[in-house]
Amino acid sequence: MSNVMVAPENTPVWVDTARCKACDICVDACPAGVLSMQQEPTSTLGAMITVVAPEACIGCSECELVCPDFAIYVAEKKEFKFSKLTDSSKARQEAISNNGYRLPVDYKGE
Amino acid sequence: MATREVISTGNELSAMAAVDAGCMFFGGYPLTPSSEVMHVISDLLPAKGGASIQMEDEIAGICCVIGASMSGVRALTATSGPGVSLKAENLGLAQMAEVPMVLVNVMRGGPSTGLPTRVSQGDIKQASNPSHGDYRSITLCAGNLAECYTEVVRAFNLADRFMQPVIVLTDETLGHMHGKAMLPTQEEVEAGIVLRKKFDGAPEDYRPYACEATEPAVLNPMFEGYRYHYTGLHHDAMGFPTEEIETCRKLIQRLEDKVMAHQDEIELNEEFMMDDLNGEDGEVLIIAYGSVSLAAKEAIRHLRADGIKAGLFRPITIWPSPAKRIKEVTSVTKNVLCVELNIRQYTEEIERASGRLDLEGLYKVNGRAISPYEIVEKVKEVF
Amino acid sequence: MAFNYDKYLRLEKMPTLWCWGCGDGVILKSFIRAVDKLGISQDDMCVVSGIGCSGRFSSYVDFNTVHTTHGRTVAYATGIKLANPDKHVVCVAGDGDSLAIGGNHTIHACRRNIDITFIVINNFIYGLTNSQTSPTTPQGMWTVTQKVGNIDPTFDACKLAIASGASFVGRETVNSPKKIEKLIVQALEHKGFSFVEINSNCHINLGRKNKMQSAMANLDWIDSITVSKKKYDAMSPEEQLNLLPTGILKQDKEVREYCDMYEDIKKVHQGQRAKITQDDFEKKI
Repeated sequence: MSNVMVAPENTPVWVDTARCKACDICVDACPAGVLSMQQEPTSTLGAMITVVAPEACIGCSECELVCPDFAIYVAEKKEFKFSKLTDSSKARQEAISNNGYRLPVDYKGE
Repeated sequence: MATREVISTGNELSAMAAVDAGCMFFGGYPLTPSSEVMHVISDLLPAKGGASIQMEDEIAGICCVIGASMSGVRALTATSGPGVSLKAENLGLAQMAEVPMVLVNVMRGGPSTGLPTRVSQGDIKQASNPSHGDYRSITLCAGNLAECYTEVVRAFNLADRFMQPVIVLTDETLGHMHGKAMLPTQEEVEAGIVLRKKFDGAPEDYRPYACEATEPAVLNPMFEGYRYHYTGLHHDAMGFPTEEIETCRKLIQRLEDKVMAHQDEIELNEEFMMDDLNGEDGEVLIIAYGSVSLAAKEAIRHLRADGIKAGLFRPITIWPSPAKRIKEVTSVTKNVLCVELNIRQYTEEIERASGRLDLEGLYKVNGRAISPYEIVEKVKEVF
Repeated sequence: MAFNYDKYLRLEKMPTLWCWGCGDGVILKSFIRAVDKLGISQDDMCVVSGIGCSGRFSSYVDFNTVHTTHGRTVAYATGIKLANPDKHVVCVAGDGDSLAIGGNHTIHACRRNIDITFIVINNFIYGLTNSQTSPTTPQGMWTVTQKVGNIDPTFDACKLAIASGASFVGRETVNSPKKIEKLIVQALEHKGFSFVEINSNCHINLGRKNKMQSAMANLDWIDSITVSKKKYDAMSPEEQLNLLPTGILKQDKEVREYCDMYEDIKKVHQGQRAKITQDDFEKKI
């Protein structure tokens, strides 16, 4: 369990899988399709959060704010050069949301 | 040494005792015949920088007292039978979380609304188990005006020693009786104050509920750097809720043993004119407590004047009962009369402790006191 | 650097026992951010919680904490505060704890205007004990005690608090964690009784049997029944019937706080001021 809130190097958003309960709220809240649930048989709900597109993260911190379980953190502006919100990010987010908050296996965005 | 002469009522003396014993917080609700304790202490406490509050109901009355005590101050509430009924659940939390406090119950006629302005001793059984679950009640019973003061002082020290609520029973007779009481001086009371134990090591080493099997928790006042958790759930060494089998068993057993292993510190009896009771025919032992004992003592003087050797065994600590001593004194004397303003509530405990089912009894439940003559008549009738 | 919640948490108690997606965690985080923003020392803060899922709030934070009996949260807190008037005392309880069994204590704590912040986590149901009706469960919803449809009317807790005399009343929802943080900061700064209602999602109990299985569906529902005070005030009574206003609903900085008034009582007894009379108060009844 991480006790240090400094961002790992060159990382916009990082997760504590020991605390995540796979509630889907952060995936729903992300505007840029950065996050996705994936199957994880050893966790209680059979799923776990993953960061699938860190390069698309815009640093809005919505995921950190809405997570009830202290499981996801976002770097500060000076620690990472965040992206802008693009159409392809939005498209990926829609695909994830419509697929039970999981990135479709064969997803090919632009 | 009881050298300070004070003329007052039982209720007022109880309030004075609390303040002299270092009480800095009162919370309560009006309930006849206990209200005067609140009236008097509402002036005494702010004069000393303490706080007294009339809450919105009996339950809030005890809750704010437990809260204040959790934060580290000596705290008091006063009520009568119906109020104890209402307070029962939270008395249980104070027992479980080991929070010291004193509850004065000025007994009145019951059950239910009963006889608000008249006397009874009807809350004896209730005092032994006011709340659900397993724990040991410590209950003291004042038998005269002076004890309305001294038993409250003793209650505060016992509460801090055993880290739990202590009930002081008085009754409407004593609460409203106006007369002379010989009390210890304020300096003597202050010198006798023994506050709850405190842990003074490093905060990270503090384990409030990790204590020996026959000792109470060590609960430091709040806001002093020792942060821990209070709960009414079963809890671990830091006070956090747990269901772990051994932890739960040890906790409940410790609530029992912390009292029962130290009964010598709690037991207090008066043995009035019992020195010459040595088992001869015709001797009479009266067992009575509270205001009834005043009539019993007068009755004994009459009986002795009439040639009957009579004595009084008076428990002052009612719970835990002085079972061993009861057995001893009832083994010496054949003729035993139990006198109570209820129907056999303490008699049943005396039967249990003595192993005897042949005790005589004088019981009165009409809200009036028992006179010495009623006791004299009864003794002559049955023995 | 991300916000360091760990400083305020009892780490050995993590992860929380709350269900996945439960709004209690969002409120907990917002509360911690608020306390941190105000620079309140952990030793000067006492958190008192009631019975229910929200009752576990107090065991997660590294302050002086108390977990009380059902409904009596604010009564315990009154004793702690009155005995320690210079310390911060915060209550956290659910809708059942504060409005049903604890309704009387809530009313009188508001009336006294004692300097306590009362965070009422309203998830519109009794969650921990599995879906019994609460005073805020909408009529017609499924509850375990009214499985053919709840007939119990509801009331607005903030209106109750305002009528009872609380000098700071506000409401936010778990859809807006930043707003919760801001409201709690203002509530903690306010000297007087601060009643803060936070609408939260209970998808496992309320939602699951009422066509809102996911956390998101409950959050959307909460969004649909709340609206800013500004918009609410401009609406007709018919429109207002099915909405709860959010934001600061009342703030009175003039009315005196209880412990402060109690100091006057101490001063009278210590000979430092004259007796208190009706002339000392603007309100004569």
